[in-house]
Amino acid sequence: MHTEHTIETSAERQNRHKAMEAIAVLNSLKEDFKSPIRSMGYFYDLFEKVYCHHQPLHEGKAKIGTMCIQIPSEIIYALDAVPIRLCNGFYTDDEIGGDLLPQKSCPLVKATVGWFASDNFSDKPDITFSPTTCDQKTKAGAIIESFGHTVIDVGFPRTKESEESCHYWRESVKSFAVKLSKFQGKKLTRSNLESAIKKVGYAQSLYHKLTEFRKNKAVPILGVDMFLVTNAFFFDKIDEWISAVEKLVSELEQRANDGVNVAGKASPRIVYTGSPPIFPNYKIPLIIEQSDAIIVADETCSSNRMFNDMVAVDEWNLYDMIDSVSDKYLKACTCPIFTQNDDRIRRIIQLVRSYNGDGVIYQAFAGCQVYEMEQRSVLAAMEREGIPILYIESDYSPSQHGQLTTRVEAFIESLKNRKRMKK
Amino acid sequence: MTKNKFSLRRAVNNMNLVRFRFWFQIVAFALIVYGGYIGLDLGDKLPTFACVFNSEGTGGKCYVGELQHDLKHPLEGFVGFAGYAFLISLGMFAVWFWVLNKGWCGFVCPLGTMQDWLTMAREKTKIRYSEYSWANRGKIKSIKYILLILLLLLPVMIANSVFGLPKLPNGLSMPFCDICPGRMMIPAFTGDFNQFYIDFSSKTDIVMTTIGMIMTGLFLVGSFIKKRFFCYFCPMAALQYVFSKPALLKLYKDGSKCTKCGDCYRACDMDILEIADDVTSKNLVTEDCTLCLKCVAACPEDGCLEANFMGATIFESTKEGFLVRMAMDQNKENHAH
Repeated sequence: MHTEHTIETSAERQNRHKAMEAIAVLNSLKEDFKSPIRSMGYFYDLFEKVYCHHQPLHEGKAKIGTMCIQIPSEIIYALDAVPIRLCNGFYTDDEIGGDLLPQKSCPLVKATVGWFASDNFSDKPDITFSPTTCDQKTKAGAIIESFGHTVIDVGFPRTKESEESCHYWRESVKSFAVKLSKFQGKKLTRSNLESAIKKVGYAQSLYHKLTEFRKNKAVPILGVDMFLVTNAFFFDKIDEWISAVEKLVSELEQRANDGVNVAGKASPRIVYTGSPPIFPNYKIPLIIEQSDAIIVADETCSSNRMFNDMVAVDEWNLYDMIDSVSDKYLKACTCPIFTQNDDRIRRIIQLVRSYNGDGVIYQAFAGCQVYEMEQRSVLAAMEREGIPILYIESDYSPSQHGQLTTRVEAFIESLKNRKRMKK
Repeated sequence: MTKNKFSLRRAVNNMNLVRFRFWFQIVAFALIVYGGYIGLDLGDKLPTFACVFNSEGTGGKCYVGELQHDLKHPLEGFVGFAGYAFLISLGMFAVWFWVLNKGWCGFVCPLGTMQDWLTMAREKTKIRYSEYSWANRGKIKSIKYILLILLLLLPVMIANSVFGLPKLPNGLSMPFCDICPGRMMIPAFTGDFNQFYIDFSSKTDIVMTTIGMIMTGLFLVGSFIKKRFFCYFCPMAALQYVFSKPALLKLYKDGSKCTKCGDCYRACDMDILEIADDVTSKNLVTEDCTLCLKCVAACPEDGCLEANFMGATIFESTKEGFLVRMAMDQNKENHAH
């Protein structure tokens, strides 16, 4: 018998490895926890489709890559294109990117660069806009461009309090809108921008409804599931996402009425902050929730920061809508790339208070300098407020699992003790 | 979440403030500008521009006019009874003012309302509003106080020789009224255009009435391109602010709930930065605030900003109210697939 042997190409191997990473996390989400949510099925399937089966979602549509949350999706939707956020959580891609960037770079940036280097996308961005946020993202844009992709820098200020910054960013957004409009051959109008702002606003309002349930004593949804839902917004069709989350909201409402709790009675309630958990790098959130704690809120750019603050328009004319959108992406942002960041600290404290958090877990990617540098000030602020906090550094590698679990478990145990003492 | 329970509080917090204010201002405008025709007389201590030159229509009189008149007396006269009378007048003004605080500016003042109408006209024409640079915004704050001091001082200097200086000519007896755009604009709404003139009877009158004409022109052009242009310079606002602390209506902020998103600042016609950036003060009625409450309506955080009357919350920011006002509470294009 003669059997045909084919040698796996590097792209196939990459896809296989990524599928393995993805399915491991998805299975864990589906099977490791009690009281699964029916309407989460949409999201599990979506991630499986895209990351295990490499299925494109947006055939026939212009896909606009964005390197950070600061590129206004409202303008992209208004111009009839799809924003694809390219922040990447795959270890497979991180390893590819590792060969192209300095050793101590941030795994997220390495993974994004690795993704472009392999040029292996299910939905390949036609053009990518890169806001000049942190050093590594900023420099990554040029590296990605050298692979033959179209990357356009969008100047982003690193202070947000000053008038100059405000004007600079408004001009940046305007020029982004002009470039995209040219690229799309479509005009940005009062009506298409208005409906895009309202649609994104509605999507945000759904996120707010979801988070409202997490204030309950019996929390009806896991933090990891929430991360998956918000993560889907990076690349999903917005209308599909909206109807899936609508279903999720009504199921959670039912669960809240029935008093369904995905955690234990004494499970400490955690506020998660730091470098963004991006699928499938849910390493730390999974450890937390597998160690009998529950994430009730987060302050990260893959979730809360993306949805929390809303665009408010005073005069629904193009001039005011564009400025409103710009201001929201600058002024409300709690990214650690800014010189001062009292707002981030205040946000964390506010989340702990309103979600009745027992402690904060602050995770920074090794190599994510800005989060590493802000660690001291956040720790000091939490100490002042009497909020227990654990700071951990991690990366995308599967290797430190045992060590991280020990630290997280110890912290959660101490929170449980604290809770008991309070009683 | 479908909350079935209807509550008045929820209805108020979800209200369309723009529409509410629009109609409230029209009613207030009618009472102040035309109230006299139905016999309304709210007295002459009003903390708003109810113009005395609109003699038949006005439903009351502006205290700034009265104040200038009162001050034009020899200082000796203020010792004793006249002094008490003056203080009682001032007290009456304060009592009127305390009811609405700066809300007189945002909801009642006919000049303010006219400016809002001009803003609406500009919005319809899709012309962008202009803004001051932050530095200039800071600098012009003092102009209203300078105008206030002048309007207080000039009448005194007509009747008295201050620091041995010669007495001022009588043409300066109502110095602010001479240059106030209200003197021309408000009677114009009752068909009386007689205030549009330059008085050639004396040099002082020529100068003052000419400035008045220029001010009215500036008022019309300025408030078309800059929201509430005149309010930045209004000496009435300066006088009011002196009495603002004990007022009954307040704008309160809970800084711990503020994310500094700046939505309130964007909505503010007076470009008051503190409304977004001050996260420690409770009372946010600042010197230029008109208590129009647009900031409360634009705030997406539950209970971060509120209008408070004598300790009771009457209108507060809520997530739901924000979404309703921004028309983000439902998906308009759900039929897409």
